[in-house]
Amino acid sequence: MSSTSAIEEKRLDHVQHHFVDSDQQFESAKMGMWVFIVTEVLMFGGLFAAYIAYRAWYPELYLEASTQLNAFWGGVNTLVLIGSSLTVAMAIRSAQLNQIKGLIINLYITIGLALTFMVIKYFEYSEKLYKGIAPGSYYTYDGLEHEKANIFFSIYYMMTGLHGVHVTIGIALMIWLVIKAKKNVFHEGYYTPVEITGLYWHLVDIIWIFLFPLLYLID
Amino acid sequence: MSGHHISSAKFLWGIAIALFFLTFVTVAVTWIEIPDPWNVVVAIGIAIVKALLVLLFFMNLYWDSKFNSLLFVFSIIFFLLLIGITLLDTLFRIDPIPSF
Repeated sequence: MSSTSAIEEKRLDHVQHHFVDSDQQFESAKMGMWVFIVTEVLMFGGLFAAYIAYRAWYPELYLEASTQLNAFWGGVNTLVLIGSSLTVAMAIRSAQLNQIKGLIINLYITIGLALTFMVIKYFEYSEKLYKGIAPGSYYTYDGLEHEKANIFFSIYYMMTGLHGVHVTIGIALMIWLVIKAKKNVFHEGYYTPVEITGLYWHLVDIIWIFLFPLLYLID
Repeated sequence: MSGHHISSAKFLWGIAIALFFLTFVTVAVTWIEIPDPWNVVVAIGIAIVKALLVLLFFMNLYWDSKFNSLLFVFSIIFFLLLIGITLLDTLFRIDPIPSF
């Protein structure tokens, strides 16, 4: 009898004193994350607004400059990110079902896919920078006719760069989740950090879903 | 209104396969020549469908408290306001293209 109540207590020791119960704490954390996602939408929104305004001004520039982007690798990265969203959703499901081993494995796969994304991005960036396709006034490439070609690439580097920063933060968060999961912190009654990181990761996926056609598939 | 909705593995795979398929469709429509304004419309349309799939079924908005959906919808409304007002300025300038 006393051992069950000890387990009961362990199950609930994540509940902070200012919450009524575990569910209220979970719902509050999730709502807080959605408020954060709103700010993220608006931060990327500013870059999308810049994209739209410049595309309205220079439609022919976008057509021409996007030929420098490799739609094949952009597409591969889209599939990689969608795959990682699936494994994050599976990680949350594992946590909900108390399958801590499954949770850790799914997190490892997600980290692997996120690293794959960044490696592909690294090769894309270094290939362009080698040619002199750099943002703004550092642009030295002369293979494009349009005199404002640097503008497209400033927008390209800002949007994919900020997205890449988010992917990097996501990798760090998931390593943190693996460490916590190995310490047996998570169980079916408490997996809030997994759920919250999942929301963040899916948002990163959604942003790429828009970046891919807007930057790579113009023609 | 439980925030602890558990999706089946089959269901999650189904959503992912739909997303993979729509990615292929996005690339495929660039092989067909669609006249100018419509190629962007189709590309964004598919992206919106994909984003909705992720939002509703991966981010669980479909089962979640409606307040979270409301927060997200408001962010989209303010984003559209940002774009709308920006374009009202930039599209109708007398000297439309600045030096930068």
